[in-house]
Amino acid sequence: MITRNNISDFIDKIPPSPKILQETIRYLNNGDLNKAAKTATEDPALSAFLKNLVNKPLYGFKQEVSDISQIFGILGLSGSQQSVYNYMLTLLSPKKWNLFHLNEISFDELQAVFSIQWQHILEHLKIVDKDIESSITLLPASIIVSEALFSKSKEDVELLRSVHDLNYNTILQRLCDTTLFDICVEISLKWDMPQVIPDIVRCASGINPSKEKDINKLGKWMHLLLFYELSQPLFVEAGLNDFIEFNIDYVEDIYEEFLEVMGVQ
Amino acid sequence: MRAIVKNGIGVFTPQGFLDGNNASSFLNLEDIEATINLNVDIILVSLRKVVFFNKNGLDIFVKLFTKVRQKNSTTVGFCDYDKKKFVAINKFYAGELAFSLFKSLEIASLFSTSFKNQQKNILLYSEDKSQRTAMAIELHDYGHNPVVAISEEDFDKKSLNNSAYDYVIDYTYLGQMGEKIATRVTGNAIIYTISAFLDAEIGNTFNIAYHNNSLNVGFRLFIFDAYKVVSMNIHAFNFFSKLSTSAAEYNATIAFVGLESTKIPESFIENMEDSGIIFYDQMDDILLNKELLKELGASSAANIKHKRVIDKDMVMKLPDFIDATVATIEMMTNSKAIKEAVEVSKIEINEHEGRIASSIGFYGDIDGMVILVFPSKIAKKACELLIGESTDDVELILDTLAELVNIVGGKIKSLLLDHNINVNITLPRTYHNVSDLLEVVESKKGVQVNLAFDDDKFLFFLTK
Repeated sequence: MITRNNISDFIDKIPPSPKILQETIRYLNNGDLNKAAKTATEDPALSAFLKNLVNKPLYGFKQEVSDISQIFGILGLSGSQQSVYNYMLTLLSPKKWNLFHLNEISFDELQAVFSIQWQHILEHLKIVDKDIESSITLLPASIIVSEALFSKSKEDVELLRSVHDLNYNTILQRLCDTTLFDICVEISLKWDMPQVIPDIVRCASGINPSKEKDINKLGKWMHLLLFYELSQPLFVEAGLNDFIEFNIDYVEDIYEEFLEVMGVQ
Repeated sequence: MRAIVKNGIGVFTPQGFLDGNNASSFLNLEDIEATINLNVDIILVSLRKVVFFNKNGLDIFVKLFTKVRQKNSTTVGFCDYDKKKFVAINKFYAGELAFSLFKSLEIASLFSTSFKNQQKNILLYSEDKSQRTAMAIELHDYGHNPVVAISEEDFDKKSLNNSAYDYVIDYTYLGQMGEKIATRVTGNAIIYTISAFLDAEIGNTFNIAYHNNSLNVGFRLFIFDAYKVVSMNIHAFNFFSKLSTSAAEYNATIAFVGLESTKIPESFIENMEDSGIIFYDQMDDILLNKELLKELGASSAANIKHKRVIDKDMVMKLPDFIDATVATIEMMTNSKAIKEAVEVSKIEINEHEGRIASSIGFYGDIDGMVILVFPSKIAKKACELLIGESTDDVELILDTLAELVNIVGGKIKSLLLDHNINVNITLPRTYHNVSDLLEVVESKKGVQVNLAFDDDKFLFFLTK
């Protein structure tokens, strides 16, 4: 069904981040929003992505915001970095989804809710760190990897899952001794993402806790956030609820606090 | 959402958060009906991976449960929860629990008629005295040895003695139990469980298509577990007489176990015996008597009155059958198959040592049976994907092999549907060794395909 060669092929085909994006990120890392905006303007697709993002109802602007400098100003350094990473991820996502009932709009929606809720959590945890804030952008890569690797074997996987409680991550681990999140780490390496990003996302798988207490704690919050969002009707119907296994025991100690932060009654 | 079906129990496993907004996205009536069509006798929603739920969320499932019960009389409920969740559900539905609650799937399987391992020592406790009694009666009926703790202190004290009990049941509630005639396979015998007063309704609750196909697949002993039967009328009597007559055409035996002669008219017993039905007091009188089993046909060769041979229609579909099988084994072993030889003949197995086998029947627009003979090495490798580790436990390998053959059956079904051919598949059957298999299929003609997975020889046989 899936071999190590398929995985190597997939990793080989991950494009390096385009030069304009690298430049934009570099300026953002240096705290230069103006130069970052100027560079971002050179990429029409990135500009369109940013305009579309900031004009979503959740930002609440009455008039359309179309100037990239203004958009970066609104998003701030961290938000701008997250948006550029989110855009990079869309370059990896398929034009047509087959395994999951997703499309460009619903995937965009998923990225947006992850970013907003993660920000909410970090505010609660009183963490102000641009890279940690951006770590959430790598999480949906696990969904893209599942789609890329399993879409051709959709029927086989469905049959397999009809007789045994297996998720995509477990199948991959048993067949190839690697996980969806290991492949996410490869993506982050190709894109020169700061190390803390793959470290947190690997923990967010729920099966790879970190020895570093702070990273582990963030991994738990991200794991719970992942399943909070994947329990929303749109994503349950997209078939995402059980693409990996939810590890309740892993998040037990933060569960009550999470409910409070999310305002769950 | 699709259910995982095992041992006659269909389980849905939502993950994360469950409320009034999303519960209907997890599960709908179509999902449940598709599961019921797989011949389950219990349908459960597992709360193992649910971190939060509220009443609005559960209400949606409970409404579905109610509809299903009204229509199919299947046992329905929730499983896999801790004390906190059990208390919450009881609080939500105080005094109105019409569904069942099983602390774990393992406990639920003790109440399933498809559960293979009987005679378990089970400690049980419920605060509700009537529940304690109901559970004890059910467990006893299913062949277990229940020990009832009469108080929490008594339960705590008895629980300390770990080695005395195979299972410990608490935080469990029996709602309305199923009324379907449940079916289980023990070795090469099929056991149907019947209960209460039997009347014309037996014609609706008994799955005659499944029974007929089991005959076609080669089962020769059918036991009616009748311990709980109160009595029967002339309609039920006629039903069993006809069933026995049709079984005789296949040289199959129908046996009744536990039916007290005082419960039904003497003339019924005499006439049923005349039609070939055999009566026994205890299930063990049959299942533990190897000689008798052999005599009754549970381990004997198939001797079908109307021998059916493979026809042109079936041969035309052969590529589909082979594709389904090869694709599944390739998927499970991550290795490539090479087709070595195709022959229309009686099954021919040169190497008997270190081989196990499995079969699955299909019926509908066309009917027949696929037999797979595995070298143990391939079987073990294929099963590793499902169980997650290497094992030498033969029973576990055979159980997992049955799941694998189920996947093959499902794939055949879907490939045939692409050609507008509708079939249903039977329960898979496994064989510890080649001799057991040959007893059933030795005389049958079919298409044999020899395949090689890496260096291991694997045999596919399609017959009617």
